[in-house]
Amino acid sequence: MKALYIASTGMSAQERNVEVISNNIANMRTTGYKRQRAEFQDLLYQQITRAGSQTSDQGTMVPAGLEIGSGVRTVATPRVMSQGSVNMTERELDVAIRGEGFFMIQLPDGRTGYTRDGSFERSADGTLVNSSGYVVDPGITVPGDARGVSISPEGTVEAYIGTDTAPTQLGQLQLARFVNKSGLESMGDNLFLETAASGPAQVSLPNADGAGDLLQNYLELANVNSVTEIADLIAAQRAYEMNARVISGADQMMQATSQLR
Amino acid sequence: MIGNAQLISLSRQIALQRQMDVVAHNVANINTTGFKAEQILFEQYEMPVARDRTFPNLDQPLAYVQDWATIHDLSGGAMVQTGNELDIALNGNGFLAVQTPAGERWTRAGSLQIDNAGTLVDLSGNPVLGNGGPIQFGPDESGITIAPDGSIASSAGAKGQLRIVEFANPQALVREGSNLFSGGTPGANAGTRVMQGHIEKSNVSGVSEMAELIRVTRAYESIASLTQKQDELRRSAIQRLGDTNA
Repeated sequence: MKALYIASTGMSAQERNVEVISNNIANMRTTGYKRQRAEFQDLLYQQITRAGSQTSDQGTMVPAGLEIGSGVRTVATPRVMSQGSVNMTERELDVAIRGEGFFMIQLPDGRTGYTRDGSFERSADGTLVNSSGYVVDPGITVPGDARGVSISPEGTVEAYIGTDTAPTQLGQLQLARFVNKSGLESMGDNLFLETAASGPAQVSLPNADGAGDLLQNYLELANVNSVTEIADLIAAQRAYEMNARVISGADQMMQATSQLR
Repeated sequence: MIGNAQLISLSRQIALQRQMDVVAHNVANINTTGFKAEQILFEQYEMPVARDRTFPNLDQPLAYVQDWATIHDLSGGAMVQTGNELDIALNGNGFLAVQTPAGERWTRAGSLQIDNAGTLVDLSGNPVLGNGGPIQFGPDESGITIAPDGSIASSAGAKGQLRIVEFANPQALVREGSNLFSGGTPGANAGTRVMQGHIEKSNVSGVSEMAELIRVTRAYESIASLTQKQDELRRSAIQRLGDTNA
C-alpha cells in the first residue's frame, strides 16, 4: 500500500516545518535574526498511462495521463532576508544596518563571520568586538579616554580624545554584500558563513554600492512576525494530523484485506 | 459465476487503493508551494463475454473498474503574503517557464532565489526564464521589483520580463515532481498577473480530502465484506452439494 509511505513523507515534512517555525519563534527577540521558511516539493510520479499515448490505430490518444505521486520532500529552508524593525537602545555602540549588507567579524579560527547583529562592545584594550568578544573587521580601537563615540551612516567612527575639542577619526566600518544572501550558511551565534552558493563577499563602505547605511544607537530586531508564525504553526499541525489520518485510513483498508479469508 | 464477482470486486479494490494513494499524495503536499491537487477518474471496462450459461439468451457483459486518468485540479491556491521580494504568485492560469537540464518545464511554485552567479532560479536551482532567456542580476543591484505583467526592474534598471505561458489544454501536462510540469503546447500569456511578495499555497482542500478518505476506506471495507460473503456463499454451496451427493 503506497498510501502509507506517501502519508509518512507528509508527516515528516510537517515535522520539519514545525521545527523551522519553532526555531523562528524561539528567536523572536534575537537581534538581527532572519526568519526561515520550510519549502516543499512534490516527489516523483509513477506514470501508469502517459498523456498522449495512442488509444487506437486512428491516432486517437489519451487526453490526460494516469499518474500517482509518491509524496513530498523538504527542499530548502531559505531565510527571508527582509529588514527587521529597528529599536532604539541609546547605547552608543549599538548599530543597525538599514539596507542589505552584513558586518564582518573575525572568528578565532581565522575565518570571517557575517552578521546583522550590531550590538558591539569594547574589549579590555578598547578594540571594537561583538557580544561574543570577536573583533569587528576591520579592527577599530577606541582609546580609554575617548568620549562621545559617533558612528556615521557611512561607517566612520569618531570620538573626542581626552580634552580635544575636535573629533578624531578612529576607523571605518565596512559592510559585506552577497549576490545570494539566502545561500549563506548559518553557524549560530547570530553569524553567517560564506558558501559556494552565496558567492564571494563584496566588501564596500556603508551607503555605497547598495550596501545600506548605519544607524547608531539602534538595533535591528528579528524579522519574525508572531501572528504569521502562529498561523503557520496551526496549518502545519493540522496538516500533520491529516497525514496521520491518511495513515490510519490506509491501515483500515489493509485491515479489511487481512480479515478476508 | 462467483469467480467473476470476485474479480470485479478485486478490480474495484485495486482502483480504490490507487485512489487512496492519490489522496495521500494530495494531503502530503498540503503545504507545498504552488502544488495542484490531483483527482483520479475511473471508467467501466466491459468484458463482452460473460461466462454465465444459466440464462442462455441473457448474457450480460461484465463491468470491471479501471482507473483511467488523473486530472489536475488547476484552481488557484490561497495567496499568502510573505514580504520577500523574490516570492511571486501567479494570479491566473499561467505557469512560469524554467530551464532544466532535461528541457523547459513549467511551474506554479514562485518562491524564487538568486544563485551565486546572479541568475534568478527556482528552489532546485533551475534558471527561471524571461522572454529573452534567464534573468541575470549584477552583484551590486538591490531593490528588485516585479510588476504585475512580469517585467522585472532593479536599481540597475529594467531586467526583462518573466516568460509566463498558458495552455489551451492544461490537462495534457505531465507531472515531473519537484513542483514541475512538462509537455503541453505553451501559448502566450493571456491574463495571468504576477503578485510580488506573495506565494501561492497548495490548492488541496483538507476537508474534501478527508471526506474522500472516509469514502474510500468505507467503500473498500464494504467490498471486502462483499468478497467475504461471496466466499461464504461458495463454501456453503460446496458443503450442501457435497452433503446431498454423499
